[in-house]
Amino acid sequence: MKLLQTGRWITAIGLLLLAGVYVRALSFTPIERTQGMAQKIFYLHVPAALWAEAAMVLVGLGSVFYLFLKDPRLDRFAEASAEAGLVFGSIVLTTGPIWGKPIWGTWWTWDARLTLTLLLFLMYIGYLLLRGAVTDPGLRARYAAVVGICGACLVPFVHLSVIMFRTLHPQPIVLKPSAPSLPGEMLVTLLLSFGVFTLLYVGFVMQRYGLALLRERRDRGGDHA
Amino acid sequence: MPENTPYMVAAYVITAAILVGYAVLLYRRTLKP
Repeated sequence: MKLLQTGRWITAIGLLLLAGVYVRALSFTPIERTQGMAQKIFYLHVPAALWAEAAMVLVGLGSVFYLFLKDPRLDRFAEASAEAGLVFGSIVLTTGPIWGKPIWGTWWTWDARLTLTLLLFLMYIGYLLLRGAVTDPGLRARYAAVVGICGACLVPFVHLSVIMFRTLHPQPIVLKPSAPSLPGEMLVTLLLSFGVFTLLYVGFVMQRYGLALLRERRDRGGDHA
Repeated sequence: MPENTPYMVAAYVITAAILVGYAVLLYRRTLKP
């Protein structure tokens, strides 16, 4: 199946470029003066967080359109995006505490940003568990769409929580109304990393979509795509 | 070695493990859906 092959190639290229981002971030990007080496976690944590949020927005959009159009491709896309989002969410929730320990002095604190990010992660798990629990394809897609839309509604609160509430988590330094407050070399590394995470998201979603298609065909007793 | 380098190393290793692990998992699942 062409979709699967293309997805595999994009993922492979994304992983190779990730190695390049590691080299650039560790060797060719200045060390931040106050946080030292721990600040380099930023180049993985932020792109993963952006894609964990964006993937859920895309799940929500796919779900809304599915409810109107009843097109199974939208449901497959939402499922694929949710699984990729869970992967990026797990990166956020592991790199965040690892960064927090040396800088804040604690692995975890129940402040708004951290708690809402955990809630987003749990929404992903709930969404995928629900899909596994309902056997009827039509019902599964409809129930999952409702959860997907709820998840997408959570994303603005996750992103703006640092502005809406008093939190330990820093304010946005790139995605904000004014210009990014980051030195040029660090910004380039961040953008490269974001590009690589975007490639990985696309590769994961294409493969996961292809897998859903293969399973549907197998369940229908169809061809060997 | 700066004091917080091990934290940075742990974050980089775990991120690579999650991404490569999921890519391998997907590859295996798509071979036998």
